[in-house]
Amino acid sequence: MRTVVCVKEVLDPDAVGAYAVSGHLEIGDDAKTLTQTTIPRLMNAYDEQAIEAALRLRDGGADTTVCAVSVGADTTATLRHAFSLGVDEVVAISPPAGVEVDCHVVAALLAAFVRDRGADLVLTGRQASDDDQGVVPALVGEALAMPVVTIARAVDVDGTKVTVTRVTPDGDEVAETELPAVVTVSSELGEPRYPNVKMKMAARKVTPEVVAPSDLSVPDGGLQPLLRLERQWVPAVAGECEILEADSAAALADLLIDRLVDDKTLQAGGGRP
Amino acid sequence: MTAPVIVCSTGTEAPEEAEATLTLGRKVAAASGTDVRWLLLGAAPDGYADVARRHGVAAVDIAGGDGIDEGDADVLVAAVARYWERSPGQVLVFAQTFSTRDIAPRVAARIGAAVVTNAVDVDAGGDAGLEVSAAAFGGDTRVLYAVTPGVACVVTLQPNAIEPTAADGTAPEPAVEKLDLDLSGVVRGVRVVEAARSDGPRLEDADVIVAGGRGLKSAENYQLVVELAALLGGMAGASRPIVDDGWIDSAHQVGLTGKITRPALYVAAGISGATQHVVGCTAAKTLVAINTDADASIFRHARYGIVGDCLEILPELIRSARDRGVRR
Repeated sequence: MRTVVCVKEVLDPDAVGAYAVSGHLEIGDDAKTLTQTTIPRLMNAYDEQAIEAALRLRDGGADTTVCAVSVGADTTATLRHAFSLGVDEVVAISPPAGVEVDCHVVAALLAAFVRDRGADLVLTGRQASDDDQGVVPALVGEALAMPVVTIARAVDVDGTKVTVTRVTPDGDEVAETELPAVVTVSSELGEPRYPNVKMKMAARKVTPEVVAPSDLSVPDGGLQPLLRLERQWVPAVAGECEILEADSAAALADLLIDRLVDDKTLQAGGGRP
Repeated sequence: MTAPVIVCSTGTEAPEEAEATLTLGRKVAAASGTDVRWLLLGAAPDGYADVARRHGVAAVDIAGGDGIDEGDADVLVAAVARYWERSPGQVLVFAQTFSTRDIAPRVAARIGAAVVTNAVDVDAGGDAGLEVSAAAFGGDTRVLYAVTPGVACVVTLQPNAIEPTAADGTAPEPAVEKLDLDLSGVVRGVRVVEAARSDGPRLEDADVIVAGGRGLKSAENYQLVVELAALLGGMAGASRPIVDDGWIDSAHQVGLTGKITRPALYVAAGISGATQHVVGCTAAKTLVAINTDADASIFRHARYGIVGDCLEILPELIRSARDRGVRR
């Protein structure tokens, strides 16, 4: 069996958030690129959990190889990290020249890679923590006519059947489908493993295989983006918060209850019987 | 005439969110000189005809039947794609829910359209053509996407992004048609072997929610949140990190990846206010924030704030609420 995990390199969303909230996020002259070099680039955390799900399958006795694939101009660091976690194969798909790649182009490239090289199971994160779109897995599944099962906290394979425990707003749902399939993984899968020193050292010497779009059987028109990012900005929030002040926790609590009764959010009752 | 704007409701969205998508649809249709068609999948909600008239919808198309009514994703995707074949539009708008987030990109792939999730606005009719604004980085930034000219776009509208408003003036009665989409050949590829259990009261319907976050410092202290919620006749909510940490199960999670709530009172205790959480509680009529960090983002969304340790404040709130017998 072959498992392909699609991974994306992103700007650290916590660092972006910290700069955004403090009003110090820098956006380039093109009005859309986040330019601060102090923001680390790392593997999308959900994709790291997808790798973890693949490795747990292998650790659990599934006879599978694990390939990590990423689309991007320079994904070496991210793919080396994938290797250090224990995947067998790392592949970088270079973006088509002169094209601003959107989710549709990324999905077309990943789908072509899976079609050409084969996969029984395609795993990826539920969404990327930069654009948060979460559409690439569904687009890949549709392009390959594979079933798509999203937001997994657990993934099990038994023969040609994959069983997925999904995290839904109403609690866990268990769904199953036949391989080949696309499954997206959520943070509820649990902490991904850390690479050990030996694997880290080994990963430094690994050079990902580079695949050009022309090496892949992308259908006609598949490399034409349907969306172009025009602008990016930090949204303004209108604050009208009254900060309550009093000299003790008890007085603060009483003051808050007063306010909530005065504005009729709460109703005062008869008090303690 | 330009192809219409199609708004699709699946019954998984709150009525307010269905109205928000109709409000957005009306704006886009007006800007591009076209109409709104409302596609209702599954059982049509009570009063849909009034809602349609209020929003100036030109036509209501209702499609139900086996698979659609159960909300099977494979069937819903096929149903919308088949609908689009007979009645194509320029924009297809869903209210974003757990379910529509899955089906929207698949529909886009089938009909050759672009797709944008977490959308907060759509503009049409300008020189730039169709443009979609969306939240990125968990809501910390906004992005604007331009859709390639001549390409249709599927969007899922983020909850609470748009205030639902009725159309001006009186609109004519919309044409209502019950569709019989042929879905006999649709393969259902995914079997649900154990459904999510959603018995008991739902956070989405709660009038009062007291929610806790990492500021509670330990799983045991979540009991304070539960106790205050019970005293006020409400329910207990949680931020994502403490659900991830296993302090409480995900049915309590409020936010973009959890529940979208609309209580009269929402108390956020020890929650910093990550945008992904705030999306799930900003529709509260009154939001109270308790946090040790005066710069915490949650205060930007709150009506009342207490800068302090929720572990000191919550027991006092429980005492004060009990002494005075306050309720909703």
